[in-house]
Amino acid sequence: MSIKIDHISKDFGKTNVLKDISLQVETGELVALLGPSGSGKTTLLRIIAGLEFPNEGEGAITFHGSEVTFQSAYARKAGFVFQHYALFNHMTVADNIAFGLKVMPRRSRPSSTRQKQIVQELLEKIQLPEYGRRFPTQLSGGQRQRVALARALAVNPQVLLLDEPFGALDAKVRKELRRWLREFHDSIKLTTLFVTHDQDEAFELADRVVILGDGEIQQIGKPDELRDKPVNEFVADFIEVE
Amino acid sequence: MAGIAQLNLPSGEDATRARIIARNQLARRATSDPLWMKATVLILSLGFLFVFFVLPLALVFQEAFRKGWEAYLKVFEDRATTHSIWLTLKVALIAVPLNTVFGLAAAWCVAHFRFRGKQLLSVLIELPLWVSPVVAGLIYVLLFGRQGLLGPWLFEKDIKIIFALPGIVLSTVFVTFPFVARVVTPQLQALGRAEEEAALTLGANGWSTFWRVTVPKIKWSLIYGIILCNARAMGEFGAVSVVSGHIRNQTNTMPLHIEVLYNEYQFVPAFAVASLLALLALLTLVIKSATTWFADRALRNAAL
Repeated sequence: MSIKIDHISKDFGKTNVLKDISLQVETGELVALLGPSGSGKTTLLRIIAGLEFPNEGEGAITFHGSEVTFQSAYARKAGFVFQHYALFNHMTVADNIAFGLKVMPRRSRPSSTRQKQIVQELLEKIQLPEYGRRFPTQLSGGQRQRVALARALAVNPQVLLLDEPFGALDAKVRKELRRWLREFHDSIKLTTLFVTHDQDEAFELADRVVILGDGEIQQIGKPDELRDKPVNEFVADFIEVE
Repeated sequence: MAGIAQLNLPSGEDATRARIIARNQLARRATSDPLWMKATVLILSLGFLFVFFVLPLALVFQEAFRKGWEAYLKVFEDRATTHSIWLTLKVALIAVPLNTVFGLAAAWCVAHFRFRGKQLLSVLIELPLWVSPVVAGLIYVLLFGRQGLLGPWLFEKDIKIIFALPGIVLSTVFVTFPFVARVVTPQLQALGRAEEEAALTLGANGWSTFWRVTVPKIKWSLIYGIILCNARAMGEFGAVSVVSGHIRNQTNTMPLHIEVLYNEYQFVPAFAVASLLALLALLTLVIKSATTWFADRALRNAAL
C-alpha cells in the first residue's frame, strides 16, 4: 500500500505550518520524516492519519490510488503510534490490543475466540506473550510502546505511522527498540512512515529520509545521499549540528 | 566502620550528594514559615471550621432529636413532609441527568476545541455561580409567568411552568449547571486527547470513543461532579422559592418545606427534615474525598 501526498499545505490561523508538500512512500517502504522541532513533521504525519485536515482546495492524499484527503481518522484506519503511547490505562494490555477489533461493525468483527487468538499472536510478535493481563501502568516505557504498536497492527492497517516512537524512552532502550523495529518491519513489510528529530535514528532505520524544515521538504534521499550531497545549507547545517 | 571511613574520605559522588543535601536543608529553612505562624494559621482555620461548620451541623441533629427517636421518625409520617421529599427527589432526578449531559458537553468543548468565543463559553458556564439564585428564579417568572413574555401563549395552551414542577426543574437546572462542567473540565484538560485520537485511528467512531475511552478516563471526577450537582439541586432554596409558589403538597421542596415548618414553630419537624439535607452533605463529603483520591491516582498513572 503506497502513500501519495500531492501539494498539501496547512495553516493554523495565520501560521503556515506546511507549504506545498509532495511525497510518495512506496509499498513496504520505511521512510523517516526528519527535522527540527517546529518543522511541521508531526503535523504532516497527523494529516496523513486523518487527525488533522490540510487546507481545503489544495492538493490530495491518496492511499494506493484511492483518495482519503478529508476522510475521518476512523474510516481511514492508518495505524498510528503516539510518542507517549496513548494506551488506555483502564484496560488490560490484551484489551488495549483488542480495542480496534471490538469497535468493528458487527458484520466484520472477528468472534471473541478469534480476537483472543489475534491478541495472543501479536503479544508473541512483540515478545510480551505473558503480559496480556497486566495493565499499561505496570509496564516499562519500551514495553508500553511495543503494546501500542501491537494495538495499531491488530486492525491490519493499510499503513503504519509512528510519531517520535522512541522519544519518551531512555537511550539504551531506544537503541534496542530501534533495531527491533527494523527487523520487525522487514518481517511484516508494512508501508511505514515515522517522525523523528534524531538523525541517527532516521539514518539507521529508514530506507529513505525526508528532511523537513520550516514547513517545506528540503531534501528526500537515501541516508548516504543526504550525508554525501546535501542540496542546501539547511540540510548541511542540520546534519552537521546533530 | 564503613560509614566512618566514608565520612572521613568521601568519594566524589558522596561529596556531591552531601552538598545537595546541605543545600536542600538550607533551602527548606529559607522557605519554611516560623512555628508561631504555622500554629496561628492552623488554629485560626480549624477554629473557623469548628464554629461555622461542625457546630451548626451538630446542632441540627441535636434539635432534630430533642424529643427522641420516636418524635423524629414520626415527622416522616406527615403527608406534606413525605411529599416534599418526593418532590425534591423528582426534581433532582430530572435536573441532575440533564446537567450531567450539558456539563459534559460544555467541558468537552472547552477542553478540546479551539474556537472563537471559547473564553465567553467558559465565563457563561460559571454565570450561575455569581448570579443570585433569586434573580435566576425571577428570570423564569419574567419569561414564563402569567404576565411574562411567553405567559399568554403558555396560558392559551394550558401549559403550567411557574408554580409547577417544570419551573422548579428549570430554575434548579440553571443554578446547578456549573458543577459537572467545572469539575470535569480540568481533568479533561490534564489528561489530553491522545487516547481519544488513538481510539479514532483504531476505527472507533465518536460515540464509542466517548463511552469506551473518555468516560472511563474521567469516571471519578464525573461522579464527583454529579454528586456535587445533586447536593446543590436538592438543597436549592432561593431560585426554587421564587418560582414554586410554596403550595403545600404540590410545589414545596424539602428546603421550602423546612422554612414553612420553622415559621410555624414546628422545630422538631423542621430540623428533622434539615437533618436529611445535612446527611446528604456529609455523604457528599465522603464521596468527594473518595473520588478525588481515585481521580488523582488516575492522573498519576497517566503521567507515568
